[in-house]
Amino acid sequence: MTATTITGSAAAGAPRGSALDRRYAMLGLVLIAPSVMIFCMVIVYPLVSAIYLSLFSIYTPTLQGDFVGLDNYATLMASGEFWRSLLNTVIWTVCTLTLQIVFGIAVALVLHQNMAFRALARSLILFPYFVSTVVAVLVWRWLFNDLYGILNHMMMWAGLVDMPLDYLGSMPNAMISVVIVGAWKYFPFVVIAVLARLQTIPEPLYEAAKIDGAGPIARFFDVTLPQLRDVLVVIILLRAIWDFKEFDLIFLLTGGGPLISTQTLPLMVYKDAFGLNDMGRASAVAVTMMLVMLVFMIAYLRLTGREEKEAAQ
Amino acid sequence: MAQVRFDKVRKAFGAAVAVEGLDLVIEDGAFVSLLGPSGCGKTTTLRMLAGLEFPTSGTIAIGDRIVNDVAPGKRDIAMVFQSYALYPHMSVGENIAYPLKKHGVAKAEREEKVAQVARTLQLEHLLARKPRQLSGGQQQRVALGRALVRDPQVFLLDEPLSNLDAKLRAHMRAELIELHRRVGRTFVYVTHDQLEAMTMSDKIAVMRDGVLQQYAPPKEVYDRPANMFVAGFIGTPPMNFLSGEMTGEPGRAAFRCAGTDLPVSLAGGASPERKVALGVRPEDVSLGSGPFTGTVRLVEPTGHETIVVVESPAGSLVTRAGADVALAIGERVPFDLEAERLHLFCAASEARLLASFTRSGAPAQA
Ligand SMILES: Nc1ncnc2c1ncn2[C@@H]1O[C@H](COP(=O)(O)OP(=O)(O)OP(=O)(O)O)[C@@H](O)[C@H]1O
Ligand SMILES: [Mg+2]
Repeated sequence: MTATTITGSAAAGAPRGSALDRRYAMLGLVLIAPSVMIFCMVIVYPLVSAIYLSLFSIYTPTLQGDFVGLDNYATLMASGEFWRSLLNTVIWTVCTLTLQIVFGIAVALVLHQNMAFRALARSLILFPYFVSTVVAVLVWRWLFNDLYGILNHMMMWAGLVDMPLDYLGSMPNAMISVVIVGAWKYFPFVVIAVLARLQTIPEPLYEAAKIDGAGPIARFFDVTLPQLRDVLVVIILLRAIWDFKEFDLIFLLTGGGPLISTQTLPLMVYKDAFGLNDMGRASAVAVTMMLVMLVFMIAYLRLTGREEKEAAQ
Repeated sequence: MAQVRFDKVRKAFGAAVAVEGLDLVIEDGAFVSLLGPSGCGKTTTLRMLAGLEFPTSGTIAIGDRIVNDVAPGKRDIAMVFQSYALYPHMSVGENIAYPLKKHGVAKAEREEKVAQVARTLQLEHLLARKPRQLSGGQQQRVALGRALVRDPQVFLLDEPLSNLDAKLRAHMRAELIELHRRVGRTFVYVTHDQLEAMTMSDKIAVMRDGVLQQYAPPKEVYDRPANMFVAGFIGTPPMNFLSGEMTGEPGRAAFRCAGTDLPVSLAGGASPERKVALGVRPEDVSLGSGPFTGTVRLVEPTGHETIVVVESPAGSLVTRAGADVALAIGERVPFDLEAERLHLFCAASEARLLASFTRSGAPAQA
């Protein structure tokens, strides 16, 4: 179908819609085409390709291998490492996300107050989010270092511990450290989103609540939190997806160690693909990850769908 | 008893003074309007009474209690906001019940009171809805309901009707009057609409630039405005001001304006030769006969009356005539002023002068 035939038939008196309508519809198609093509290239192709690869036993360097059907998946289901990595992923996501949300809201509430240097504080708080993960992780590793790290130095100086702690090389310290660094790195995202929403909550709501006898805590739970609900749903879903597939922060901080104690699914994909040169199994893990994320997506669509229905009533 | 008392209250926002030297006593059970142009400090006054703003100096008392340091929730007041400020995520029922909940009223009693208020305000069929599913008028009633349910000593209302259309506003005005009569509590009502203030209030406090100008019943504010500002602010079309000066000696003084003398007796024997302004309400000018003459400049029929602007040697006069008056622009008309209803103000201080005009002495023609 070309533009000329469309305009031609429209000019001849199209039965449905005016010529202008059809021209606009055509324009719409033309404008949307590049995005659709790019979308297919960068999303659909890798997706299909991953599913395809997961059905083979493939040696990564040559990308040669045999079709094995669902064997890769069967192996995964039977492997303790997979389940351990999934569990790690869930622990990491839930813990770091909870910290991000709690600290994010708390800091946003503080920054929402009229206080000295508010503008400066608002820009400073974004620092962890802007700084490159590699740089941030190097700094944290230096802080965590058991020989010359400042954290150990200060803890010993304060008399909290007698011996330097091994923050990254032992459990549960390693997981706790990863979770904390993740929360530190990404809570500014929550701050920005929540702060933006806080500024749109009408002041009279708080004043009405004051007059109705609500104290500061009641005002937070009865006015602020319900107003933040929508934005929190979006933040939690986005952050859950991003944390779930977080790779560089964990990889650089602990490399999944000690042993596989902090190895999450993305790290396992990497290890399988490039460490063990088993692209098929790596793809199977990746596809499984995608299925888990699909659950998040459906939850998200359900939630937003319900909102819209409620609003339409 | 819930008399409200402002004592030398001053409120400044940095360098800007919003309210200055306010002394005001609102009697228990009265309906008092704070009236004035935009930015005159009405809302600030109300918010100080609510506890949402703190006076820079002076004291505010509700009943026998000085409330300067009392939290809004403990002042036994309720407020209706201009924007209604309904909690968007709560249903109408929950909105109305909220103040009770925060004051620890048990669930059964809460439900009973909400039902009662809903019946009063005809909200029963809306209790399950969310505020955004209501019309402006319904939201306004819910806001009133939330205020009513606690049965507070003082109701504070900040331009509650200004978001409604003209017809609904007239309706709600009547409902508010009725409501006030029924609950018998003190109402403090902020408005910049003189019609609302005149029709609803027991007393009106007229404010200007943060300063109270006059505090009196509506009729007195209209009939004996304390100064030129009040005189000009209240009444539509506004009062005409003719500037002139006093002549003659005490006892036989007259107002001289464009060569015409109006004999006037001044209380306290005010000195003559004083710059003054004569205030004439549009309805106190009668066209058709009288000692004065002027030229018709504008004729505006409004249906039930006609506004006629007459250019006289003393200045331009807006007058009210009957609906069927037949006047052409440019026509010369004789007119008369209702002597007993004229107002005299000092031109310098703009304050009202106690004066009474006498008809008999009016000169035949000037
Ligand atoms: N929070 C504030 N900070 C600084 N100035 C303020 C503040 N609130 C009010 N003002 C000033 O105080 C004055 C009185 O304001 P107020 O809101 O009481 O006026 P108003 O009579 O209610 O006017 P309107 O009819 O427009 O609502 C105004 O000049 C306003 O600019
Ligand atoms: Mg106001």
